[in-house]
Amino acid sequence: MNPVYIAGAGMTCFGRSEWPLMQLASVASLAALKHANLGDIPVDGVVVANMGAARVNKQTALGSALVDQLALYPAAAESVENGPASGASAVKVGFQAIASGMADVVLVTGVERMRVVNGLEGTDFVASLSHPVAEYIYGVTLPSLAGMFARLVMDKFGVERKHLAMVAIKNHANGAKNPYAHIQQTVTMEGILTLPEAAVNNPPIAEPLHMFDCCPVSDGAASVVLVSEAVAAKLGGPKVRIAGIGQATDTHAVHEREDPTDLKAVRIAAAKAFDRAGLKPGDVDVAELHDAFTILEIAESEASGFFPRGEGHKALERGETQLDGSLPINPSGGLKAKGHPVGATGVAQLVELTWQLRGECAARQVKDAKVAYACNFGGFGNNVVASVLQREA
Amino acid sequence: MSNNVYGMKCSSCGTVSYPKHAVCPKCRNEKFEDVVIGGEGKVLTYTDAYALAIEYETRFLRLAIVELDDGIRVTGQLLADTPKMGMRVKTTIGTVRENGETAIQGLQFVSA
Repeated sequence: MNPVYIAGAGMTCFGRSEWPLMQLASVASLAALKHANLGDIPVDGVVVANMGAARVNKQTALGSALVDQLALYPAAAESVENGPASGASAVKVGFQAIASGMADVVLVTGVERMRVVNGLEGTDFVASLSHPVAEYIYGVTLPSLAGMFARLVMDKFGVERKHLAMVAIKNHANGAKNPYAHIQQTVTMEGILTLPEAAVNNPPIAEPLHMFDCCPVSDGAASVVLVSEAVAAKLGGPKVRIAGIGQATDTHAVHEREDPTDLKAVRIAAAKAFDRAGLKPGDVDVAELHDAFTILEIAESEASGFFPRGEGHKALERGETQLDGSLPINPSGGLKAKGHPVGATGVAQLVELTWQLRGECAARQVKDAKVAYACNFGGFGNNVVASVLQREA
Repeated sequence: MSNNVYGMKCSSCGTVSYPKHAVCPKCRNEKFEDVVIGGEGKVLTYTDAYALAIEYETRFLRLAIVELDDGIRVTGQLLADTPKMGMRVKTTIGTVRENGETAIQGLQFVSA
């Protein structure tokens, strides 16, 4: 495989947006293209990641639509729908195009505009990724799968609600330093857990998970410009290489997994990504994990190989995953505070990590970051894409 | 058509799977017979879900994964007032969702 570099990264602010779908996608794309500073080097391909536009925005064929917005004809174009892992899947498609020699420059943009429908319709659209006969018909939603998962993990490993709150507090503190984050507000243990008012501030969503254990529903877009080695050399500047991508799947219905607390697809995807990169979890300086629910950050930190099974919450408690810890997790604020425009999320994780590796993150910069890791968690863990990025000189 | 919930039993290795797949997940055989899923078991985990999809008008929905005594696991609605992990339940069939005029039948769990 030929080496693939991320030459530029950009995004819109996440949150509730009045912009139409394609404006979100265009603004992020133009920011990434400007960041890459391609000059007259042509874009060979465009890949758009999205989950719900066909349903909530009544628009399809987003790849073609984005080429048209950006007047990039006759660039190749496609759309990738892979649930909440759409973003990293789309990056994988662009990566493969360059690694195989079919393309030199590919723009990958993830976009979602889901606040246009009400909360119930939005929840239902995401719930449609669950098993139609064995889960969905019962009223299963993503928060409810996360709630049932959390109860099992908490029982098995002694994780408490205070640990979940620690994830929220950390990620909100990081998000408050990220001008692109949906929620830029810090929260305290008292306010969301220990004071009597916490019962009002932080109502249950899917017991044992409460509001501050769940990411917000966001609109937004994120883009990266992928280039070949030859183009990267021409561009000069900081070089961030996609050192390895790994992907794995698991059973559609969560109840069918031998051990429903084991995020097997995360384990396998991470191991593949590290193997391809020739690196180990211990080499990672900064990570973005898919904390759609606080419990997932803890579980993914273990399944990705950073901490032994059942000990992620202990590392969290020791402060190891804070911005100034030995392995900062979710410096962007994560899905929890940065927001979760579903199709954009996997791309946005790599946008943050590219900026981190280039030293462009200002107040939330992780010092001397050279190796970065992202986990984009699709379905409820039935389709996971893990990526390892490395800064070259 | 009966209201039962069905899984599949592989005609080659005998593995029972729920939900159904196009091949046996254990041995990849493509021949199987329907088996009725249900009986007694214990609650593996549960949640009270407040963020619901469009068709529900209740305040929250109590959902559970139950491990049946034959080893099969199922997801469904838990109709117990004081849920606990490990509690004994048995399956019944009831309306689990209403889609316009259509009442969708599925697994519910009551105290055994």
